[in-house]
Amino acid sequence: MELFLQLVISGLVVGSIYALVALGFVIIYKSTSILNFAQGEFLMLGAYVCLAIVGTHRVPFLAAFGLTLVFSMVLGIAMERVILRPMIGEPVISVIMVTLGLSSVLKAVVQGFWGTDLRPFPSIFPTKPILVGPLPVSQGYLYSVACVALLLVIFSLFFKYSRAGIAMRATAFSQQVALSMGISVKRIFALSWSIAAVVSAVGGVLLASIRGGVDGALAFFGLKVIPVVILGGLDSVLGAIVGGLVMGVLENLSGGYLDPIFGGGVKEVAPFLFLVIILTVKPYGLFGNVKIERV
Amino acid sequence: MTKTIRGALLSILASAALVPAAATAQAEIKVGGIFDLTGITSDVGKPYAQGVQDAVAWVNAGGGINGKKVKLIGVDYGYKIPEAVSAYKRMVNDEKVIMINGWGTGDTFAMKDFVAADKIPYFSASFFGGLTDPAKTPYNFFIAPSYSDQIRAWLSWVKADWKDKSRNPKVAFLYGDNPYGKAPVEAGRLFCKENGIDLVDEEVLPPNFQDATSQLLNMKQKGADYAYINVTTTGVSLVLKGAKALGLTTRFGSNPYGFSEQLPLVAKEAAEGVTGVVPHVPFGTDVPGMKKIVDFHKANHPNDTHDAMYVRGWCSALAWSEVLKRADKAGQLNGEGVKKAAETLSNFDMGGLTNNVTITPTDHRSMTKTPIYQVQDGKLVKVAEYDMPRKPEWLGL
Amino acid sequence: MRCGDFRTTYAEDMAIFETRFARWALAAFLAFLLVLPQLAASYWLDILNRIGIAVIAAVGLNILTGFTGQISLGNAAFLATGAYVTAALAGKAGLPFPVVIPLAGLTTALVGMVFGVPSLRLKGLYLAMATLAAHFVIEFTITHWESLTGGVNGISTPAPRLAGFLFDSDRRLFYLIMPLAAALLLFAKNLFRTKVGKAFVAIRDQDISAEVMGVSVYRYKLLSFGVSSFYVGVAGSLLAYQARVISPENFPITVAIDYLGMIIIGGMGSILGSVFGAVFITIMPELLRLMTGALAGTFPALTELFAALKMGFFGLTIVLFLVFEPDGMAARWHTIKNYWKLYPFSY
Repeated sequence: MELFLQLVISGLVVGSIYALVALGFVIIYKSTSILNFAQGEFLMLGAYVCLAIVGTHRVPFLAAFGLTLVFSMVLGIAMERVILRPMIGEPVISVIMVTLGLSSVLKAVVQGFWGTDLRPFPSIFPTKPILVGPLPVSQGYLYSVACVALLLVIFSLFFKYSRAGIAMRATAFSQQVALSMGISVKRIFALSWSIAAVVSAVGGVLLASIRGGVDGALAFFGLKVIPVVILGGLDSVLGAIVGGLVMGVLENLSGGYLDPIFGGGVKEVAPFLFLVIILTVKPYGLFGNVKIERV
Repeated sequence: MTKTIRGALLSILASAALVPAAATAQAEIKVGGIFDLTGITSDVGKPYAQGVQDAVAWVNAGGGINGKKVKLIGVDYGYKIPEAVSAYKRMVNDEKVIMINGWGTGDTFAMKDFVAADKIPYFSASFFGGLTDPAKTPYNFFIAPSYSDQIRAWLSWVKADWKDKSRNPKVAFLYGDNPYGKAPVEAGRLFCKENGIDLVDEEVLPPNFQDATSQLLNMKQKGADYAYINVTTTGVSLVLKGAKALGLTTRFGSNPYGFSEQLPLVAKEAAEGVTGVVPHVPFGTDVPGMKKIVDFHKANHPNDTHDAMYVRGWCSALAWSEVLKRADKAGQLNGEGVKKAAETLSNFDMGGLTNNVTITPTDHRSMTKTPIYQVQDGKLVKVAEYDMPRKPEWLGL
Repeated sequence: MRCGDFRTTYAEDMAIFETRFARWALAAFLAFLLVLPQLAASYWLDILNRIGIAVIAAVGLNILTGFTGQISLGNAAFLATGAYVTAALAGKAGLPFPVVIPLAGLTTALVGMVFGVPSLRLKGLYLAMATLAAHFVIEFTITHWESLTGGVNGISTPAPRLAGFLFDSDRRLFYLIMPLAAALLLFAKNLFRTKVGKAFVAIRDQDISAEVMGVSVYRYKLLSFGVSSFYVGVAGSLLAYQARVISPENFPITVAIDYLGMIIIGGMGSILGSVFGAVFITIMPELLRLMTGALAGTFPALTELFAALKMGFFGLTIVLFLVFEPDGMAARWHTIKNYWKLYPFSY
């Protein structure tokens, strides 16, 4: 029983980071119907930039963090303008490939500038772990859970009540109608990409400080988050958060109980197995909008 | 690693590749170098590669191999077996190298039949026990105790360190999901059985893992007193930090690619008390052979920091340079001749950088003594050394 | 300028090679290819063999994604299936290659059809995700079914043998790979003149209308997965023979992305495009390596940057092609050809 609880708690905690990245995915998908495979790279780039500002230029952490967010915002807008704008109207596979190409370019840029070494990241949270039930949990993780909860509230309110949020939902529903209503679709796209980049950067900084280091492996998170967004529903903010937490728990439980049987590696493949199950049973996820097509 | 190190390393690699124009006039000996500079083991691969490069430069500066210069053709294969195979094919078919200094367990083992068929002596940075039996791998060599002997030595330290006479010590293995990670496991299992150590848990760490919590929790459940980690320094520090966060009391140990002066720097307090296998001395240790290394460093890149991996690269290159000298003196500067020359090394003195090297035609275990160091106050301190007997049933294991 | 080109029978109209010039040009090209290995250095032979294998797999993927519109990220997994089946049959069971290669292809076709089952209910993005999951599941199976696959240590395949003649060098393997590639390409080109091929294209263009018209969408989708996976399985089989040692590292997800890149850069829905794409993506890293090697004297930093450059270049090429030439190199080739068709009377 104790192992079970420990696995669940650590799963929730890792899942909060998944939720952050999934949020970025969902925001972009919600307004532009594009699945951004480069989300993991945004996370990695955010962490590296923050490290560069803090380390090389000796700027205090909070200011550096702010600058990183600004950088991510600009990056998101630039990506949207340069690369995704020409992709409007192209078939799905082209869009998927463009974001995959983008992720390769970003990975290459990071590797070219900073190399592949693990660079120590300053710990922004006190290192003493806090006891959650039977399990000592590092404070960084708890901050990230809090962060995720906060973002969930902010974004739910944003999409429901603010003008920009409603405009984004309208654009996702039908770009033509939104245009005819006077919504600047271009601005909406730019806004959604910059928000997604910022959210990922936050996730990247949190993850880096928990791990204690920054290296290229951070980008793999992007791939891991795909089952999360499918589980939660590609266009649901709540789904992203719930999906992230659930996937973190499922992954840890399968790793914890099945690893001894299979000799390891189950934790990596479990999210994808669940993906297959979800796609068979409920392809639009727990909270996604169902599109009905019958022949 | 600083930009300076990278710059120095690349310029050496590049100039090594471009020396042709100047050196083709005089005889030169082409040696291939397959290194990991950008892959998942690059944290230890880069300093090793730099060590090999620097040693070659030092040998060439000192007159080369009986007057002939060594041309090291270095390639980065990113720890991917297919890339290593391509690089190997290029080196052997097009560049016509006479021997290769390789790196990883997976690719070295995968290519063992190629090197035997092509008669290319292969000195690897991998110390996999499966490369020690000349009946199976006649052209494979390495300058260190095998991973299997290393884990046996560490387990011997565990037995000596365990003070409770009422029960056996409980040990867990945490290893990476690749041939390198799995290399010593079988030998470790057998040794535990034969020596009254309870192997209670084996955990697999996937490549690029960020978080080892579930594996550590499982290990905690089984109540391991000691655990041997078989990945590289980055992975070890992640595990140590994770264990510290979980409040585990398990005492950790690591293989030589997970344990160096870098570990306390990256893992900070989590590294205190951790033991490790250190077959090649840390940089700057006061032994006769260290002077030339320190002098070279001061003359060429004084601002870089170095560690035991750098020394390891030097050891490998110094050993095979000696082998090349012997082959050249015997007038047999070809693959088969170099192999035979390697097998003449008997108690060859490495200047204290590592233990003396003995290779015979029937036994490619170059040494059997394994030093065990421990992190005390952020520094590496030698605490023990174990000599494993050359048992015939352990040959090739 | 083309002239005297009129057709009097349906057969002529549907011919694959429309003019005599085209037929002669192709024959000359094939003859050149047959002579090439005698002249080329072994480094280039290795590349040529890998191009041949890539061409077969790219055509396979194009059949599925370009012609039938089913996005598949499972290419690497299917390559792995073909390769490991070959290693098992040729290595452990010692069967000769004329038996092994078709068997590997058929096995992969079956596996492909199993993973094609979700395609009935899933489209576009979701199908891509399902095939991505298929990749990781197959990768896990290969890594953990150690008794059959050797796990992470990899497994080796003996060289193919035909009545005492051993295809043990890249030069000899070329004469196995090239004719096979040529035959499979011809088969694919012909496939799209038949009922089956046209059904595939109908599914891509408007699957609901196709269903209404009586094309059994589900059956043909499965068949498309099957045919495509057969091609990829054969390519995987040849890969096992060429690389001699395979391990799960030969088949990471980046391989699947590379192949998608090949067909996109080459041109989706075009057999010629698959060839272009395969050649381009396989040769690019080698040219990059030569360039960095040559420039490494003046810019020493390039040697280590090579890995990053390879990745960046690949990503950049894909992005640039998609932005500026979304229909791929085949489309550009046809445009150029058409320009010359009427030269100098382009109007």
